[in-house]
Amino acid sequence: MQRGGKQEMTLSQQLLFLKSNPVVGGSGEVSRHKLTWTTQVQPTPLARDYTVRLILKESETPDVFVDNPSLTELAGDREIPHVYLNPLRLCLYLPGTGEWHGSKRLDQTIIPWTFLWLFYFEDWLATDDWKGGGKHPGEVAEPKGNRENRRRVARL
Amino acid sequence: MNSPFRTPLTDGELRRRASVFTLLDEIGDILDITRSQFERAKQSYNAVGDWLSGSTDPLLVKTLVYLQGSSSLGTAVKPIGRDEFDIDLICFCAAVSFGVSPQRLKAAVGNRLREHKTYAAILEEKKRCWRLNYAGDFHLDLSPTIANPHCYNGGELVPDRKLHDWHPTNPKAYKKLFDARAALQPRLTQKMVAMKRDQASVEPFPAYHSAKGVLRRVVQLLKRHRDVFFVNNTDEIAPISVIITTLAMQSYAYCVKRHVFEDALDVLIETIRMMPHFIEHPIIDGWAGYAVWNETTSGENFAEGWNKDARKPKAFDVWHATALRDFEALRDGVGHDVLTQNMQRSFGDSVTKPVLEKHLGNLGGARKSGSLLVAPALGLTTSKAAASPTSVPSNTFFGDQ
Repeated sequence: MQRGGKQEMTLSQQLLFLKSNPVVGGSGEVSRHKLTWTTQVQPTPLARDYTVRLILKESETPDVFVDNPSLTELAGDREIPHVYLNPLRLCLYLPGTGEWHGSKRLDQTIIPWTFLWLFYFEDWLATDDWKGGGKHPGEVAEPKGNRENRRRVARL
Repeated sequence: MNSPFRTPLTDGELRRRASVFTLLDEIGDILDITRSQFERAKQSYNAVGDWLSGSTDPLLVKTLVYLQGSSSLGTAVKPIGRDEFDIDLICFCAAVSFGVSPQRLKAAVGNRLREHKTYAAILEEKKRCWRLNYAGDFHLDLSPTIANPHCYNGGELVPDRKLHDWHPTNPKAYKKLFDARAALQPRLTQKMVAMKRDQASVEPFPAYHSAKGVLRRVVQLLKRHRDVFFVNNTDEIAPISVIITTLAMQSYAYCVKRHVFEDALDVLIETIRMMPHFIEHPIIDGWAGYAVWNETTSGENFAEGWNKDARKPKAFDVWHATALRDFEALRDGVGHDVLTQNMQRSFGDSVTKPVLEKHLGNLGGARKSGSLLVAPALGLTTSKAAASPTSVPSNTFFGDQ
């Protein structure tokens, strides 16, 4: 897929950048048009150390899962803000705005945003107040193409 | 704490603990009297001193007003439920000899203060002292004292609670002893590790440094913990500040001279743990009583009240055990939310909130201005010294809920 004239990166290129960025630990592989990367994310020295799994299929949008500790268990009976459900994934950017695009490096976008999300998540756990900002569906008029994208993501 | 067999802390744990201590240090700062408040108090008590020594009353001709207690030690703590700090002053009447009764001297000070229009309006009589109430800012509590002819250490005598007799005290020597102990530097293995690392030019390691020193912070934090712990208790059985301060300074000096510590947090917790060992149990009327001695004069037992009310030593034990557990939880808790809850429980929301929100605000500000970084081992940081960082680009969190 091409958008705005920018060339999408291949999964192998993304894998190479993830491997070479000292901020990103962990390991992963590309197999059958799917990049899987597992890493530890500790937002600050005071925070928990989370096991995060990042999946990117060719020409699709990345999915970010937190495997351990369980976000649902930490949240108790509260609804976790800024996630996609079934299965639970972090929602790190506003689709259709170019914040994320296939031409951008995962290690320079999705990974730092995961740090940020988990940082605000732990504050939210204590205060019930999400201080990281953001938008909810309905608050923004989504571009048409983007809605399609989201439907596709929801089907995954 | 000192066992060579204890598993050494990982880098991650050391970083977490350094961050926890930094937050505790900031809580201490918020609890403290502000510099401008302190300056105002100083101006006020100097003026009071001049007024008293300007008296024609022969008892007051040679008076010296000076600071004692927490504001002179650097261990002041903002009270809960009111705005005014307690500032304790000694009004040392050098011209007075041993023969004068406590009532007479206290009355002389009170009479002189009443002669001043401003002071008369804000004057309040307390059991042993006079209070000048600068509403919304501070109280000045003036205790008259005279020289103690029996103290070889330059001590003084202060009226006892019932104004019947003179009671030995020695605020000047106490401050000198406290300051000397507070200046003792703990030996930290973490600092040695940090130095080696810096030589190896790895990323900067957060070696903790505080101008206040650990002892003053320990005292402030414990006093605050006590205030929160006894906030709904009206029995007046909470351990008094001078007992906490004295036990903490004895324990700190003992620990620092004998042990090597992991880090500042280790010093703090060991100091708290050892405090009860410095309570003595002299035989009083055939019973094992309690004594927390003033080491700087003879005959001043800060725990005198414990021998008259059995609930007081019990209250100390229960509070101390809780404080130790709470500080260990602060040391060991993993997760920002867990730390937040532990801090709220120990120190109350009114001081915890501004400290944590300042950090959130700094991070949020850096995020907005595009200067927020992620660095290996540190995570999110605004530090320009961080090695091999990645910028956090602008984003908008979204989602189904």
